[in-house]
Amino acid sequence: MKPDTQVSPIVRCRGVTKVYRVGAVDVPALSGIDLDLAPGDFATLAGPSGSGKTTLLNMIGGLDRPTSGTVEIDGQEVTALSSGARAALRLHRIGFVFQAYNLVPVLSALENVALTLQLLGVGPAERAERARVALDEVGIGALADRRPAYLSGGQQQRVAVARALVTRPVIVLADEPTANLDSTNADGLIGLMSDLNRASGTTFLISSHDARVIDRSRRHIEVVDGKVVSDDRR
Amino acid sequence: MLAVMAWRNLWRRPVRTGLSLISMVLTTMLLVFMLSFQLGIYDTMKGNALRLLDGFAQIQPPGYLADPDIRKTIAAPGDLAAAARKVPGVTAAAPRASTYVILSNGELSYGGAVIGVDPTAEVQVSRLQATVHHGRYLAASDSDAIVLGDVLARNLKLSLGDRVTLLGSSADGGIAADSLRIVGLFHTGMAEIDRQVAEMPLARFQESFGLGDAANVIALSGPSLGAVQRAQPALTQLAQSQGLVLRDWAALEPALQQGITLDFATALFWYATLVIVVVFIILNTLLMSVLERTREFGMLLALGMRPMQIGRLVWMELLMLSVMGNGIGAGLGAALAAWLQVRGIVFPGFEGALALWGLPPRLYPTLSWTSALSPPAVMVACIALAGTGVFLRLRRLEPVPAMRAA
Repeated sequence: MKPDTQVSPIVRCRGVTKVYRVGAVDVPALSGIDLDLAPGDFATLAGPSGSGKTTLLNMIGGLDRPTSGTVEIDGQEVTALSSGARAALRLHRIGFVFQAYNLVPVLSALENVALTLQLLGVGPAERAERARVALDEVGIGALADRRPAYLSGGQQQRVAVARALVTRPVIVLADEPTANLDSTNADGLIGLMSDLNRASGTTFLISSHDARVIDRSRRHIEVVDGKVVSDDRR
Repeated sequence: MLAVMAWRNLWRRPVRTGLSLISMVLTTMLLVFMLSFQLGIYDTMKGNALRLLDGFAQIQPPGYLADPDIRKTIAAPGDLAAAARKVPGVTAAAPRASTYVILSNGELSYGGAVIGVDPTAEVQVSRLQATVHHGRYLAASDSDAIVLGDVLARNLKLSLGDRVTLLGSSADGGIAADSLRIVGLFHTGMAEIDRQVAEMPLARFQESFGLGDAANVIALSGPSLGAVQRAQPALTQLAQSQGLVLRDWAALEPALQQGITLDFATALFWYATLVIVVVFIILNTLLMSVLERTREFGMLLALGMRPMQIGRLVWMELLMLSVMGNGIGAGLGAALAAWLQVRGIVFPGFEGALALWGLPPRLYPTLSWTSALSPPAVMVACIALAGTGVFLRLRRLEPVPAMRAA
């Protein structure tokens, strides 16, 4: 649980709290989280439903602001940024893989991957080339022209992984990426992310309570009631 | 890629997009056709009214329009008419003199307007000669001749070949009288003209009413009202150089101009209502499409897309839909108007009502750039403007609430 002081962390959370107002009641989702992630970490964030995993992931990804505390990504304080600056940070530094509604249904696999490159201002030829390479890396280069509706759940998640990595982010945040997959596809996806982590050194933080995911991770962070209750490195 | 996404997004729900398209196509088609039809009717009304007697414009002495006094004259009408004919867009110019007289037959007397005309020039400006149904119109060689409205003749119990006595004031303020043989009776269908107007040769008029060589107005015509309207600056300059004024059709026929303005304003109200209804239908469709894609937008925001870019994407979809729908609608409406512009439309049983407005039984739309392009332009502009509401709504979208949306 102690922050790694050996190397400069990619993610540094200090005293992060999040309180949601539900009617007249304050509901705490995170209660003073301190967490560091080092470059190259392949970590899982586990915990029961409602424990605060997704909320923490949202804070780290700059999708939401904490009620108090600070989050730094690669040395940049996220919480102080405007929404536009946070969008730019997400685009340049963070890759996302979601549980569902992950791809744009009207775009092909290749176009989905190229979309983020276009947002970065990469030219058409280069983004097509990079997107094709990314799809090859996740093993579905042959399906580049298919739209999501013509891809299996596992293939769609591979496209999402390719899209998350194509911008060369410092960290990939994956929220329950295997939740909608069968065991074969789930194993394949976890293996793929693990291999990419080893090959590229990109930090992965995966929110999951899937035992297969937890088994493959090299760091296991347990969140209960909005607090980190354990942080085991393997 | 945003344009590609926008185009493909349109066809995610082909039935819904198709229905939206159909509503726009039908509305724009209707608007283009109705506007063409309306402008065509106005052109016909103006053309009929102005060609009958007034001409498309007139050069008059100042103040003559408000007070048509025989003493307000144009000194050298022949020269001025010749100069007017040289103005591009003007094909005919006819000098006229007129006054109010008592027309008598024995003990029967009626008031009316007698107009002195140059028959050769007059037939190029006025189609009154075409309405002569008994006898003939005036000829250049005529001196002792007059044509009367048939109602006036009936009231005076006169027929072809009879003589009618005119009694009025001469230009010098004295009494002017003359007696002329009736050579023709006309029926225009416009009661005021048929019971009050008579035409006689200009030279005889000038002699009888002491005008010398002068006239009161120069009536002008051209290939179309628009051509003469375009010639107005040159005609105004010509009139002013003689100390005269140019009167356009609206000044000559103010009641017609007001009637057209009122009718057009009423029609615009209904057109606007139709546009508003369709815009709200399209906007509602757009809003539904946005609401059902909120989670997708949340995902795009999470990836780093700006709310403005998502707003632009949705706005692009709206513009594509509206340009497509209104383009097709305008094309179909224009094609229909162009077809009926040649064939005309008949309203069986309404001939009498149409005649009251000076309209023929067969009506023709007039397709113009205005009638073809203004309805789709207004529709697209209104839809684009209304779409800014959705655009602004999307600007406030935050990734987490959006991804949690049901």
